[in-house]
Amino acid sequence: MSSQRQVWTALATLLLILVVLSPALFIVQMSFRTGRDAFQMPPTLVFRVTLQNYADVLQGKFVRALTNSTVTATAATVLALVLGVPAAYALSRTRFRGAGLVSLWTLSTRMAPAIAFGIPFFLIYKHLGLIDTRLGLVIIYLTFNLSLVIWMMRAFFDALPRSLEEAAYIDGAGIVKAFSTIALPLSAPGLATTAIFTFLLSWNDFFYSLLLTRSEAVTAPVAIVNFMNYESWEWGKVAAAATMIMLPVVALSAIVRKYLVRGLTAGALKG
Amino acid sequence: MHSVGPQPKLAGVGSLDRVAGTSARARRWPVARLARPSWNRTRRRVFAAFLGPSLAVLILVTILPLVFLVITSFTPLDLTNPGSLRWTGLANYRELTHDGRFWNSVWIQAQLSFWTVSLQLVVGFGIALLLNARMKLLELVRATFIVPMVLPPVVVALIWKVLFTPDISILDWALGLLGLPQPVWLVDPRFALWAIIIADVWEWFPFVMLMLLAALQMLPQEPLEAARLDGASRWQAFRYVTLPLLKPAIVVATVFRLIDSTKAFPHIFIMTGGGPGTATEVTNFYAYLEGFSYTYVGYASAIIVVMLVVTLLMSLVALRVAGWEVEVE
Repeated sequence: MSSQRQVWTALATLLLILVVLSPALFIVQMSFRTGRDAFQMPPTLVFRVTLQNYADVLQGKFVRALTNSTVTATAATVLALVLGVPAAYALSRTRFRGAGLVSLWTLSTRMAPAIAFGIPFFLIYKHLGLIDTRLGLVIIYLTFNLSLVIWMMRAFFDALPRSLEEAAYIDGAGIVKAFSTIALPLSAPGLATTAIFTFLLSWNDFFYSLLLTRSEAVTAPVAIVNFMNYESWEWGKVAAAATMIMLPVVALSAIVRKYLVRGLTAGALKG
Repeated sequence: MHSVGPQPKLAGVGSLDRVAGTSARARRWPVARLARPSWNRTRRRVFAAFLGPSLAVLILVTILPLVFLVITSFTPLDLTNPGSLRWTGLANYRELTHDGRFWNSVWIQAQLSFWTVSLQLVVGFGIALLLNARMKLLELVRATFIVPMVLPPVVVALIWKVLFTPDISILDWALGLLGLPQPVWLVDPRFALWAIIIADVWEWFPFVMLMLLAALQMLPQEPLEAARLDGASRWQAFRYVTLPLLKPAIVVATVFRLIDSTKAFPHIFIMTGGGPGTATEVTNFYAYLEGFSYTYVGYASAIIVVMLVVTLLMSLVALRVAGWEVEVE
């Protein structure tokens, strides 16, 4: 292959990347322009960069929504890990009757549209007074987070050599000790990956927040929509808010990109 | 994809001989400890305690709500009338069979699924084939192409709402520049569904692309070389060697995209609200309207139960037909 051809392939690839990313980049550049400048057609490549939109957005109720998103996604992640990681370890180290059922169930819950859980949870929350609370969101996020944690962590534990834990047993360590001092530290990268995954899924949720919150516990994705309706289509601000909620997602997903497909197909692909 | 090779399931104490000699302490601590029945009992008890809370929570947050959903689907439950939680058997389901709006929503969903999945396969596979070469930029491609599918769905919907709104959209401007028609996408019944389809294809073709690219790069080279030596043309080698070897990856990608094609809720909610008229009202969205705009939760439950059963059966059949099995013991 000639070097000239390599250059052309590289250029074509870069162009492809640009085309794929352009819709997202369009929104990002829009967030740095104000008023009429944002919609000047043809768009100008050189423009006055302003942070006015961000300043406006951060003065309003959106800050509370961002806090809600951060708190619920973090709490949902911690809860799913605390419950799911020991379970994944148990499933990895023993044979349980019905362990296969767990993966089938993971797959089935993944197939269900959000509204299938939304309706019963809405009715139960109304009864329990959990509508418009962060706790309510944290609990419903377990419907997709918990089985994902179990599924992903089991694969990570399966990949660890057992001989280390067995040596610890012989040295007199109990199962809990071997788990917490050997298996857990060794699977730290897996834990981080799983945590990022559950955080992203919770952070990106739109439907449950739409259905189960009103004003107090509204998360950022739903707040943007409200904001869009009340602020009579101030696109610059909408773009700024959208950029703010997509930034952490892009950064975090870059870390877990190797495992992305595996996480998205949890319950199906073996290992 | 990251595949973890099969590992022998040790019953906890499988390779004792090897381990026993490694530590000085091991000699003082009798290995026999692990052979005692009390150890096995402890083991079983500890692992049960590890698993128990998760199982209990899973039952509580997934199985019970679904049972509750099925129960409400047999009632005329109305949010404005708390006394309406009474058994009326299959009444909701009978009504469904002659609800024109329901059947319309199924048809819209069928079109949406067909076009999004086919286009994602074509675009994703095409780009995967183009990029299937050893090149330095591949890592950059992998890193950037995941962006559309990890973005919050709300942001995807907002991006395309802007792009499909005339006057403020660069897309509209570009179409005008090329002398192409500039439809008012989101309010024109002929284009609204296509607006949703385009947004969904952009969001998810990278999923197909990444899966197939991974499969392509793991493909064994020998069969392909053998075919070429035997005089197969490039097309024949692709058609009769590469494609059959890729079949499992293609099937898995298709099934997952098919299942998730029923989840375009945020896009529809933000871009069109189901409209104009009912032009983009998929079943999922129709159920949402019945349940939470018109407050007929019982009827909405029946719609969702039907939808759940159909998706579940379809995906299981698809996986079976493809000769690929869900991991069930």
